Amino acid sequence: MISIETQLRDVQRVDLANLPEEDTELSINQLNLYYADKQALFDITMRIPKNQVTAFIGPSGCGKSTLLRCINRMNDLVDDCRIDGEVLLKQKNIYAKSVDVAALRRNIGMVFQRPNPFPKSIYENVIYGLRLQGIKDKRVLDEAAEKALRAAALWKEVKDRLNDSAFGLSGGQQQRLVIARAIAIEPQVLLLDEPTSALDPISTLTVEELITSLKEQYTVVIVTHNMQQAARVSDQTAFMYMGELIEYSDTNSLFTTPSKKQTEDYITGRYG
Amino acid sequence: MESMNLNKHISGQFNEELENLRNHVMKMGGMVEQQLTNALNAVENTDEELAQEVLTSDFKINLLEVSIDEECTKIIAKRQPAASDLRLILAIAKAISDLERIGDEAGRIAKVALKSFSGAQQEFLLSLDNMGRQVLKMLHDTLDAFARMDVDAAFEIHKDDQKVDREYEALTRQLMTYMMEDPRSIPKIMDVLWSARSLERIGDRCQNICEYVIYFVKGKDVRHITREQIEKDILGNR
Repeated sequence: MISIETQLRDVQRVDLANLPEEDTELSINQLNLYYADKQALFDITMRIPKNQVTAFIGPSGCGKSTLLRCINRMNDLVDDCRIDGEVLLKQKNIYAKSVDVAALRRNIGMVFQRPNPFPKSIYENVIYGLRLQGIKDKRVLDEAAEKALRAAALWKEVKDRLNDSAFGLSGGQQQRLVIARAIAIEPQVLLLDEPTSALDPISTLTVEELITSLKEQYTVVIVTHNMQQAARVSDQTAFMYMGELIEYSDTNSLFTTPSKKQTEDYITGRYG
Repeated sequence: MESMNLNKHISGQFNEELENLRNHVMKMGGMVEQQLTNALNAVENTDEELAQEVLTSDFKINLLEVSIDEECTKIIAKRQPAASDLRLILAIAKAISDLERIGDEAGRIAKVALKSFSGAQQEFLLSLDNMGRQVLKMLHDTLDAFARMDVDAAFEIHKDDQKVDREYEALTRQLMTYMMEDPRSIPKIMDVLWSARSLERIGDRCQNICEYVIYFVKGKDVRHITREQIEKDILGNR
């Protein structure tokens, strides 16, 4: 029997503005981003709690993907891109000069909109990151592959054909394979950039189910066009508009009683 | 509901569905109000015909309740409403069940008009009528507050329910005195007492509807909390 007190306590919301340090995975502080002269992100400050799913929503061009890319320094690859402010992973600024970007990306994995398996077998796809790290022990690799595929809810479907080409899998399976590849190297954070927008509804639900189970081990940040998806899978939702963070709160309140009119208009499908 | 921007959705279809829903709720509210008015008039004028009409018209309200419920279900399934749209649908789905019950209570009151009362007994019908007019006004104001989603008006009506409760207590005491004085009048007085009880319940249901108005506007569930709390915590920033 769960007591009423326990139930009521569960309903208590995470105070995102005053999140204790030990519960914070990522802190973004006064982040501004410019593409040449054009400013794309304006003074973003937010704390992303660990072992939870945080969703970024907003209309096209609002900066949600740009913000996601800041978290593993993907924007470094873009010419003319300039950033000020800081992004802290466990209190360490990932934009500090001393940071090894390759090592950072091992800690912060990313999955994109379209599944992008390598032209290799299913098995080789999953352990790709481990091979890059120089791990050769077959037993270690086998174990890691099975663990990652199980975590990505794909093991049962592929265990008898690990050596088949990854291209033989369906879109939904490929996306889960890519997630398995990302988690095989055991990152702390998993960034998902519209991971289901190229998938059919059933595969989408499978991937959503997977996202929910992943948060036990990882901190998940997801960008999605699909508002209902954000409502279904995330614990926190950030609504962005024109490069600004308009509202950031727990998903239940954001979708039932948003505090800003812009959020209300967006999630109810009204003219902005 | 004018202030609710019902018609601002990108989807014109959705605007239309919400507009229709709203119209149907208002129609149902109007019918319920008419039923209560007729029931009270029937009792006041011992108009058996009018009382019969109240009893035979109740089915229309029931049908409307079912069809509005169905509309709400369809909108939830097809549109996945969020935020104020979601709260509107929930407020409507709950309000119509209260309206339907108010319709039933009106029927119960109308039945009193089918009984014959002696000259002396007419007196307590008058007390019943007084209470009835008060409740009818409360219902009218409630429907008005719901139509405009007027949170201040809703809170005022919510507070006024105390008056109806006090009226009910006073009437009960009065009727008990009659019963003690003349036990033969008990069956008749019981009918009046049940009607008074119905009126008191209508007051409570109006109060519920006012709570849905507050829920829609403020996004806070104010059921089962004290008026002082509602005023302090929820409406404090009005």
